[in-house]
Amino acid sequence: MIELVLAVPALSLLISLVTDVVYMSYVQLAASIFVFIAVIQSVMGLKSDKIFLGGYFFLDHLNAVILFTVSLLELFIAFYSFGYIRTEIKHGLSKRKFKFYYFWKNLFVLSMMVSILANNLGIFWIGIEGTTLATALLVSFNRTKEAYEATWKYVMMCSVGIALGLFAIVILYFTTSSAYGQSIKALSFLEIVKIGGSLDRNFVLLSFILALTGFGTKVGLAPMHNWLPDAHSQAPSPISALLSGVLLNTALLGILRFYQIAVSSGISYARYFFIGFGFLTIVVSAVSIFSQKDYKRLFAYSSMENMGLITLGFGTGGVAVLGSILQILFHALNKGAIFLSSGNVLAVTHERKIKKLKNLSGIMPVTAFMLLLGTIGITGTPPFSMFLSELFIMIGLFSFNPVFAFVVLFFLVLVFAGLLSKILSMYGNAQDEKKHAMESSLHPFLIYIPAALILVSVALLFYIPNPLLVLIKSAVAELGGGIA
Amino acid sequence: MVRLAELFSVLILISAVLNAGSPFIKFGIKLYSFQSLMLALYTLMVALYSNTSALYLSFLFIILFKVVIIPYFLFNTLKRVEIKREIDLALGIPESVLFAGSLTLLSNIIAERVIKTTVTFGSLIFTISLATFLIGAMLMITRKTLFSQIIGFLTIDNAIFLAGNSFTHGMPLLVEFGVLFDLLAAVLILSLIIIHIKKSSLKTGLRS
Repeated sequence: MIELVLAVPALSLLISLVTDVVYMSYVQLAASIFVFIAVIQSVMGLKSDKIFLGGYFFLDHLNAVILFTVSLLELFIAFYSFGYIRTEIKHGLSKRKFKFYYFWKNLFVLSMMVSILANNLGIFWIGIEGTTLATALLVSFNRTKEAYEATWKYVMMCSVGIALGLFAIVILYFTTSSAYGQSIKALSFLEIVKIGGSLDRNFVLLSFILALTGFGTKVGLAPMHNWLPDAHSQAPSPISALLSGVLLNTALLGILRFYQIAVSSGISYARYFFIGFGFLTIVVSAVSIFSQKDYKRLFAYSSMENMGLITLGFGTGGVAVLGSILQILFHALNKGAIFLSSGNVLAVTHERKIKKLKNLSGIMPVTAFMLLLGTIGITGTPPFSMFLSELFIMIGLFSFNPVFAFVVLFFLVLVFAGLLSKILSMYGNAQDEKKHAMESSLHPFLIYIPAALILVSVALLFYIPNPLLVLIKSAVAELGGGIA
Repeated sequence: MVRLAELFSVLILISAVLNAGSPFIKFGIKLYSFQSLMLALYTLMVALYSNTSALYLSFLFIILFKVVIIPYFLFNTLKRVEIKREIDLALGIPESVLFAGSLTLLSNIIAERVIKTTVTFGSLIFTISLATFLIGAMLMITRKTLFSQIIGFLTIDNAIFLAGNSFTHGMPLLVEFGVLFDLLAAVLILSLIIIHIKKSSLKTGLRS
């Protein structure tokens, strides 16, 4: 069953080459629903690690959570894209421009799935680099000067970062090949963890640091984050949602794998690197949010802040690990809602600047409301599920070091203030009251999908289905965290 | 045979240093092609030395991808955007050569600290690989032309291949093929973007 998760995107990738984009959107709906069901089938009730396709791929609790997150968000994105394409074509964009949209999107999802499920670290690397290349031409979708520059920065920085990751894999392979010889086994994650204790610690630490900085570029950790706001704000909105919501987590999974290897070989202080990078990321994004003029860039910085918090949580250990894993799922949903509704704003007003937008709730009442709810949700305010995950992370941090926790809390409050003050300024009344509802020109899917995401996000605060809860708890146990 | 392998690896470093010392882009691409050829020959030497069949295939892949296809595409792109030499150097030519030299020295110091176990061809290869890596990074930082950045990136990649092929007798073939294919795709996409940037605007901060 799990093989279908890889096969279906590959198949729809091929179909997209020969069909018209309008028909393809129906195929995509079916494919995404199918993938989601396949993921549910294989993920829920997972007892132990499941190896498939000749040992190149495997499913354990940790990547099962991320796989579930990806397929869930992808399902919503498929519906949104369905409406997005119809709306843009109605607004006068030519069909030809969308010709390769589904091709690249499916390639993107496929390579993401490949790297999530990869057991072999080399395969993981190929998948991650594949995501960069598949999304490159999606980022430059608008064909403006800014879009091309963003793409250039994105491909260049991520390729070099991922090249560092390759260096990490080479060094690790050198270490493990002393145990397994020159075979494919020496790159297999499950096999490496088994013999962790007998590996040369210097080399394992070196490879962990290289992987952290290399794949950290793709996660958007602080000193290597420059490409992120540009790329995420230039891409079409459904793609932005996927980039921010799940791609960052996929790259983080790679770092976590190296972390698990480092821990298995007895390097217990590896987690302090997580704390350092995570904290720096939060600080940089909190400070940068105040100087943003473009609302999509603003949300890109918010993604950075959340990735920093997730990394920090993994480093803190204990109950914070639970918070981080929950945050991965909740952030994906919430950020999806935000990027999709801000995509609606962009589609109607064609305006990226915060200052030029006034009276948003008059122009498009539903979308404006969803955008506001999403923004409140992303900062971790109670009726939304991210409150739960951030609460767990903060509890973990307070038991780790109260002073440090207060500092982190301060920066989180800064993010809250920055985001809300910027977003709320778009809701002020304009002098000339244009009251006609422009929202009606949008396809109904565009309006209701963000609302559905918000609804799911609220629902998950009060009720997490039991199989999912079991899965998350096992993933936490896998990373050595637990409920204190 | 070991001597010959060392000669090839030293030539890799020399071509990287030469690249730091030349502002001409066409020459840079030729140098990259030469460097990849040296990398391929080095791989062949390791293959003969250790008698690993996977490395022979790796030799062929490197020749095909890095020596022929990628430089061909780069030349094609260069022809379409019509640019001859680096205009905007953040670091002058003599300084960058000097800097490249000191990076090599630094790598030697690091390599002597790190390498205690026996590697196929000793710590020399590690020094060279690290130095080439750093020089590639330096090229990317100090040059503003998009082409030079691609060449810097490709140099970094060659350095990693050198490390991979000498430390470990080659990565598994499937992985190596995937890596090369991804590299080719990256170069294609980057050249596409260069052409578009050139087309869409003539006065950007970035120069094609």
